Amino acid sequence: MMGAQPFETIVTAHHAEIFRYLRRVTSRTSEAEDLSQETFLRAYRAYRTLTPEANVRAWLFAIATNLTRNHFRSEKRRRVAYAFAAVEQRDTDPDGPEAEALFTEARGLLETTVRGLPLKQRVAFTLRKMHDLDYETIGRSLDCSAESARAHVFQALRKIRVSLNGHQLPQMEPSR
Amino acid sequence: MKVKPQACLEIEVDLVAVATGDAEGAVRGRVEDHIGFCAACRGDFQRYREIDGVVGALRRSPADGEGAVRARETLESRLADLRSRLMMYGVFPSPLGNILIARSEHGVSLVEYLGERTGFKSSRLSQVGGVEAQEDGVEVEALYRELLDYLHGTRTRLEWPLDLRLARSDFQRAVMKATVAIPYGAVASYAGIASDVGNRSAVRAVAQALRWNPLPIVVPCHRVIGSSGSLTGYAGDKLSLKMQLLGVEGVPTLTAHRDRRVARDAMYVRDRHEVEYCLPICGSLASRTLADLTLFASRERAESAGLAPCSACRPDLHPLSA
Repeated sequence: MMGAQPFETIVTAHHAEIFRYLRRVTSRTSEAEDLSQETFLRAYRAYRTLTPEANVRAWLFAIATNLTRNHFRSEKRRRVAYAFAAVEQRDTDPDGPEAEALFTEARGLLETTVRGLPLKQRVAFTLRKMHDLDYETIGRSLDCSAESARAHVFQALRKIRVSLNGHQLPQMEPSR
Repeated sequence: MKVKPQACLEIEVDLVAVATGDAEGAVRGRVEDHIGFCAACRGDFQRYREIDGVVGALRRSPADGEGAVRARETLESRLADLRSRLMMYGVFPSPLGNILIARSEHGVSLVEYLGERTGFKSSRLSQVGGVEAQEDGVEVEALYRELLDYLHGTRTRLEWPLDLRLARSDFQRAVMKATVAIPYGAVASYAGIASDVGNRSAVRAVAQALRWNPLPIVVPCHRVIGSSGSLTGYAGDKLSLKMQLLGVEGVPTLTAHRDRRVARDAMYVRDRHEVEYCLPICGSLASRTLADLTLFASRERAESAGLAPCSACRPDLHPLSA
């Protein structure tokens, strides 16, 4: 009665990553929990209609993104999430080596900046930089072209750069 | 803020892309040429490289493991719940009008005559609590094909797993299970089913239970008749459906006193306690009422139900004329 592979294997293969993604774009564990469950419940309902050659991972990211967008359509939720993001900073380890303290601070700033980005930029940035999705796929998730998706990521990086102005950054390995 | 030269504005997007590892070769060449002579953009480029390093570190940093485990556990239980509630259905044309077929992961849950109607809203399925119905013709297509074969007389068994959860009570479930056991081309009585479920006097309750049979045809309530041999039960306009189905199975019927009944004289008979089938005139049946009997349309039907010819009346030597 089910598709090519049992749905359990899809949960096993992708749940952790989808959860991380939602944790990143919603900033809150409780919302990531709800939305990740909703993502997979929706996927379960539609799974039988999925063609065998479909990219399941991209499809799950698209469902999760859609739910996130609906979720934040409520202005109030957005404000709550933002206020929450502002206080949920990671503590800097005061005894750590200087480079690590520097990194921890930079990472905290980066996370805060990403949380404050408009949703589409935040989503595009996270999908591209944290989960390596291609721009075509990101565009499909956001109902826009690959070019627009690329522009969202560019705008996100620009804002991150502005917000990190005046902060010394550690020398790290490039992201890819 | 200082105004950037046009060349720097134009290359900014590519510069960011190259610095963050997101650009192809040709673009890279152009950006490298530009930052070769533009110190401001070289500084920008360097800054974006540093940012990219922090982004990479953020990406590698550990996830919220505990939250993920908790979310996964809750998901498993919500999935199990959804699985048990989900029913897939399709509406199909048939010689009996439109038919809705629904199934769950346990088996077929509902067969409903919709007649001229086609909409889900007119179905019983839309009124059942605790069920999430989803239109999905593909899921029930195989069941539909078999049902059509049955209606065309080319299939005698519908051996689908049954999901009896739409039954209204344990009593109804018991009645349905007893009814499933009546073979193709045979009829039994409401009183007989009442005996099967252990309450000989519950004839009316049995009739009510079958009236609300959620699985007509599959649970062959058309094979259950009144103790007089009359085709009662399929209320109102449904009586012709009952006749039609019995006709498909070769059960002879006749009209007597404006009443439609099975032609008992033209059918072979089994006593409920025997493993043999008899001619209707067999002496061993003298004191039996229909409550104790199953009638068969033909010897073939009786024998495919595992019965042997009676050694007294010898239906094998004196078959009823067709």
